[in-house]
Amino acid sequence: MEKILQKKSFPKWVEKLDAYEIYSPVKKDNTWSYEIINTPGDIELDYPNAVQAPKKIINPQREVVLEFGRSDDDSLEVTEVLPEEKSVVIFGVRPCDAKALTLTDLVFSGDIKDNYYGKRRKQTAIIGLACNTPPSPNCFCTSVDGSPHSEDGFDILLTDLGDRYFVKSLTNKGNNLINLGKGLFVAPKANEKKEIAKIHADAEKKLKRQVNDAEKIPPKLKEMFESPFWDEESMSCLRCGICTYLCPTCHCFDISDEVTSVAPFKGYRIRTWDNCQFPDFTMHSSGHNPRPDKASRLRQRIMHKYQYFVECYDHYQCTGCGRCVSKCPVGIDIIEVLNKVRDYG
Amino acid sequence: MKGKINETTQNNPFLPELARIISTHYLTKDVKFFQVRFSDMEKALSFRYEPGQFAMVSVLGAGEAPFCLSSSPSRPGLLEFCIQKKGTLTNALFRLRENDLVGVRGPYGNGFPMGDMEGKDVLIVMGGLGVAPLRSVLLYCLDNRDLFNRVILLHGARTPSDMIFRDEFMALKERVDLECFLTVDEDDTGTWKENIGVVTTLFPKLKKIDPSQAYGLVCGPPVMYKFVIKEFIQLNIPKNQILMTLERRMKCGVGKCGHCAIDYIYTCLDGPVFTYWDVIHMRELI
Repeated sequence: MEKILQKKSFPKWVEKLDAYEIYSPVKKDNTWSYEIINTPGDIELDYPNAVQAPKKIINPQREVVLEFGRSDDDSLEVTEVLPEEKSVVIFGVRPCDAKALTLTDLVFSGDIKDNYYGKRRKQTAIIGLACNTPPSPNCFCTSVDGSPHSEDGFDILLTDLGDRYFVKSLTNKGNNLINLGKGLFVAPKANEKKEIAKIHADAEKKLKRQVNDAEKIPPKLKEMFESPFWDEESMSCLRCGICTYLCPTCHCFDISDEVTSVAPFKGYRIRTWDNCQFPDFTMHSSGHNPRPDKASRLRQRIMHKYQYFVECYDHYQCTGCGRCVSKCPVGIDIIEVLNKVRDYG
Repeated sequence: MKGKINETTQNNPFLPELARIISTHYLTKDVKFFQVRFSDMEKALSFRYEPGQFAMVSVLGAGEAPFCLSSSPSRPGLLEFCIQKKGTLTNALFRLRENDLVGVRGPYGNGFPMGDMEGKDVLIVMGGLGVAPLRSVLLYCLDNRDLFNRVILLHGARTPSDMIFRDEFMALKERVDLECFLTVDEDDTGTWKENIGVVTTLFPKLKKIDPSQAYGLVCGPPVMYKFVIKEFIQLNIPKNQILMTLERRMKCGVGKCGHCAIDYIYTCLDGPVFTYWDVIHMRELI
């Protein structure tokens, strides 16, 4: 379904979505983050990308899996805790971050389903904003099969046309949201469709960074497992893990228990984001570590994203958002690393 | 001790079942034996697994970790684990007594291809804590003795007092349908009558093996694999009939959390039992 929505009508549409919990990018302390908004006026869609991808809403940094404690008769009681039942809309999601959700879907679905991720994913509608100009100087989505107006993972994609949005609904969930704003939307004219095509084509040309011939990288990586390349590239790594924490496709998690320090005994089993750049990630209790150094951990990160995942699912596990490049404290630049891999040896 | 699970959905992969400790005792100074049974009788009787599979065991409040099942599915009802005291969780486990409750979920992993091994010689080589998964295979073979050809056990430990299940294996030496060889690196008791030397020093004692009709199984500390596999290769056992069960840090057990990912596989789903062929093609496995 394709529609046009005047920007001045946008708050009126959002008002109609009062049954939903609404997230939008919000400017906080000079950076952007996805937060729950109270009034439609808080939604700000003229923004570069948020520091943290909206994956934090679907797959929270910390989440209780079960609760346990001793009841009055001293018996042990364990209670399953599931995500709260509610309908959620996220506005302003960039194409790279929406596509990332389609990749984590592959991991968390399958024969054994992750009820936590699955439930949130199902009850959340993703409304995107196409990138007319790259939101980050390190955007490289076009190198990894993405684009500034990719529709993967969206229920609705908005494109900014100055005083109005071009609205494209891609799912039933999206259609339902548009139907709630009946009367606000009009059908696009032929020239508006042309305008969209031009804006989208221009947007692709504005990306400053790229990895050419990226398809050469997965087979190349396969031959580079033992290469000294990984020692060279990881030399400056601080093991801070920001690259994977901010990555919209990284999904590894830890499970641990937390208990109260005062009686009665009560506690929670929680799952929290984990990080393959930490030595502890693979450390056995015996002290043996099959991935003992920075080189093997950087190799794992690159191999997983551009070789193993490709082998399993036929997609790069990277959507080119550029966060890991922008935020790495020592300037390890995955775009440069990939270009070097392609030309290596 | 009483306990219950409040469950609202079916098939939540992260939710454990409660199991009661039926018996526990020290096997060595830092390894303990745990025999548990699901509190829910129906679950206790319906729980099915293969030798080599593992379960996630938790002490609520201390955490959860993977432990391979040391019992054999040929003896249903009770699950057995043999656990070394190492970290927070195992310390908490060691403080528990009979009748205390633990969380158990599983079984996970692929297990040994027991069906493929039927009619063949089964050569089991274990060292140290490698006993834990291979005891399951051994008991399974002995309980279904007519299904297998020769069953051979080579078991090594640092000292006699470090030998896990020493009395159990000593007793097995009496069996005529099991070729059982035990060894220690050094004898600290002065009473050890068996072989002294690393586990590979037992190989010359074996009667001739027809390699095409034999499976070689190994589990032990990381350093052991290289030497034992070399012996298997010298015996001409085919690479895909050399089986080993490997260790990995794991959190979920169901292929989601990413800890045990190696190459394009997950140890918890595609392992922990691998062939030597897998090991050659998948670096970082050991």
